[in-house]
Amino acid sequence: MRLALVVALLFAWAPALAHKPSDSYLTLYADGGALHGQWDIALRDLEYAIGLDADGDGVITWGELRARHADVAAYAFARLALRADGRPCRPKVREHLVDEHSDGAYAVLRFDANCIAPPLRTLEIAYSLFADLDPTHRGLVRVQHGTATASGVLGPDRPRLEVALGEASRLRQFFDYAREGVWHIWIGIDHVLFLVSLLLPAVLVFGGRGWEPAPRFAPVFWEVFKIVTAFTVAHSITLSAAALGLVALPSRLVESVIALSVVLAALNNLKPVVLARRWAVAFGFGLMHGFGFASVLADLGLPRDALLVSLVGFNLGVEAGQLAVVCLFLPAAFLARRHWLYRRLVFAGGSAAIALVAAAWMVERVFDLKLL
Amino acid sequence: MSRLILAALLWLPALPALAAPRVPADEREVLERLPLRPRDPAAAQLRELRAAAAAAPADPSAVVPLARRYFELAMAEGDPRYVGYAQAALAPWAGNDRASAVILILRALLRQYRHDFEGALADLALAAQRDPQNAEARAWRAAIFMVRADYAAAARECAALAALVDELQATGCRAYVEATTGKARSAYARLLGALHRAPDAGAGQRLWILTRLAEIAWRLGDAAAAERHFRDALAAGLTDNFLLAAYADFLLEQRRQREVIDLLQEHSRSDTLLLRLALAERDLGLPGAARRAQSLGERFAAAAARGERLHLAEEARYLLELRADAPAALAAAAENWDSQREPRDALILLEAARAARNPVAAAPVLEWLVRTGFEHPRMRSLAADLR
Repeated sequence: MRLALVVALLFAWAPALAHKPSDSYLTLYADGGALHGQWDIALRDLEYAIGLDADGDGVITWGELRARHADVAAYAFARLALRADGRPCRPKVREHLVDEHSDGAYAVLRFDANCIAPPLRTLEIAYSLFADLDPTHRGLVRVQHGTATASGVLGPDRPRLEVALGEASRLRQFFDYAREGVWHIWIGIDHVLFLVSLLLPAVLVFGGRGWEPAPRFAPVFWEVFKIVTAFTVAHSITLSAAALGLVALPSRLVESVIALSVVLAALNNLKPVVLARRWAVAFGFGLMHGFGFASVLADLGLPRDALLVSLVGFNLGVEAGQLAVVCLFLPAAFLARRHWLYRRLVFAGGSAAIALVAAAWMVERVFDLKLL
Repeated sequence: MSRLILAALLWLPALPALAAPRVPADEREVLERLPLRPRDPAAAQLRELRAAAAAAPADPSAVVPLARRYFELAMAEGDPRYVGYAQAALAPWAGNDRASAVILILRALLRQYRHDFEGALADLALAAQRDPQNAEARAWRAAIFMVRADYAAAARECAALAALVDELQATGCRAYVEATTGKARSAYARLLGALHRAPDAGAGQRLWILTRLAEIAWRLGDAAAAERHFRDALAAGLTDNFLLAAYADFLLEQRRQREVIDLLQEHSRSDTLLLRLALAERDLGLPGAARRAQSLGERFAAAAARGERLHLAEEARYLLELRADAPAALAAAAENWDSQREPRDALILLEAARAARNPVAAAPVLEWLVRTGFEHPRMRSLAADLR
């Protein structure tokens, strides 16, 4: 009893002493009909469950773990049930690796889930790893599907997670990609500057005495309409072609030509070479900008089962972002076009500044330098 | 550039520590060191207990020793996995209020560990009712009331306990309460006397009493006595996470960072001790300090990913002293104070409130200081700054 009291009072310190409890990290990637995943399980926990330290020296080596890979996989997957559209998947480990987390070494199991044929609509995860040995163990589960992510903390209190991957999320996927498109125009300053360089002279006409204000709005509007449409059609073509894997260009070339297009468009305002057919310039270089968008889309990753939805979503997002730039620019420029400030400062000064900045980008991209 | 921003924005708040998984090149590469070597006597004993419990999982006489052993390991190593193992062993009695006193006490330990203090107190009351001679249930209730800052209730439990235990234990319980309620000097003298009169006290008991004596002496400004008690406690030869943390804090305040590193080098598994180690290395400007701090941050992130925040006081100190994020530290310290109200919880809330220049947030602790008359020069001067 004497010891019991001491032990009791010692235990009162417990809450502040905790370090990391047992967790596993399960990530599932739904990609079209295919479902694959990665599962990180602490070696400490596996040791407690099935024993890894074969020679009993208190140390787990890679050799000891490797010898038990089949047992590890069998033990783990007996405690994880994946069901796609109500039918069980048959997970199969593709490779065994190791990784460090904040509390020690983990076995990493990369696996194919081998579910039924596509399309996958719902995914049900029933998790019971270590539930009998350590009820405080948790599985930190993440399901990634295109740009959408679902996650849950699973354990004995909450052993199941259901994720909808099908039609319901199709619409959301469309909007997710559209948002990315808008966002890319918003921060993709080179595309905006190219467009602005082409639009700056739209409210002016070039005559014998240089640039003069355009007299009426209708021709200005149609000029802008032609330029924007040409740009849009062109980059939609190459964006789709590249996203579908039909054409591929090296990104350094693409980025360099995009910078060059901005330089040329801006210089054309200062010393006009192309006047009537600026839409053709927009179209020609628009093809190159499309490859630029495509590389962003490639970074995002296109879900195979929703390729078209995502592609159209992203493209429409880009158009929407572009349209917003035009809507902001055009009325303001038209109203200001008679003022000398517009012609001298905004038009001439702005074009010169754009040409300079874009020239610097071009040098950076061609020679792989960092100037700005 | 735009690509970079996009990439940064797309980076999902991923799970912590996404290092790259790899295939080691060498069969002999050591991946993990286990806390217990299978050939250690402690491991052998644990195996026997496990086998006995596995043979009779519904028999308290087989299960209780195993669950207790797991708790002791959890305390010694600061490793919550053992708490989980204990919970698994006790699963057959999870919702059974008619279980025996020993089972109810163990269930209470699990509950207080998860900060379910009300549930733990209820289980312990039930245990005391079932077995009125059970000192442990009383001692536990006293300890939980101390964490909840209900000193009158804690004193009542100590009084009930006195009839059931020897002088040293009775004095320990009372001194624990009195030292927190403005009577540190007399509590210290009485506890020291009781310890001298019990030369045959067990190692665990000596360690506990000596740690408390060291803390009281430190608060009263007698660093030499505190040092002596800490050293005596360490000489008991038991690994005790709390003792190591308390002594490390003492050394940090004494600007003896090198000794902190020597003391804790082998104990970086425990969050509490890793924090002290990181602080000492930071103070000395050692190259590994940043990595320690990062690893600590990853552990807090991992706990948050689990939806669990059981070491808020530690996290507050990490945020304040290693991340210099006073507002976040204050939020964590204030949330911590809602569930735990021991002196160290008060101290971190005061420090965070001063750093964040937010005296209002410190009001509950200022009130607590007045109410208890707690003797602690550093807290008193912090409080004066905040008032």
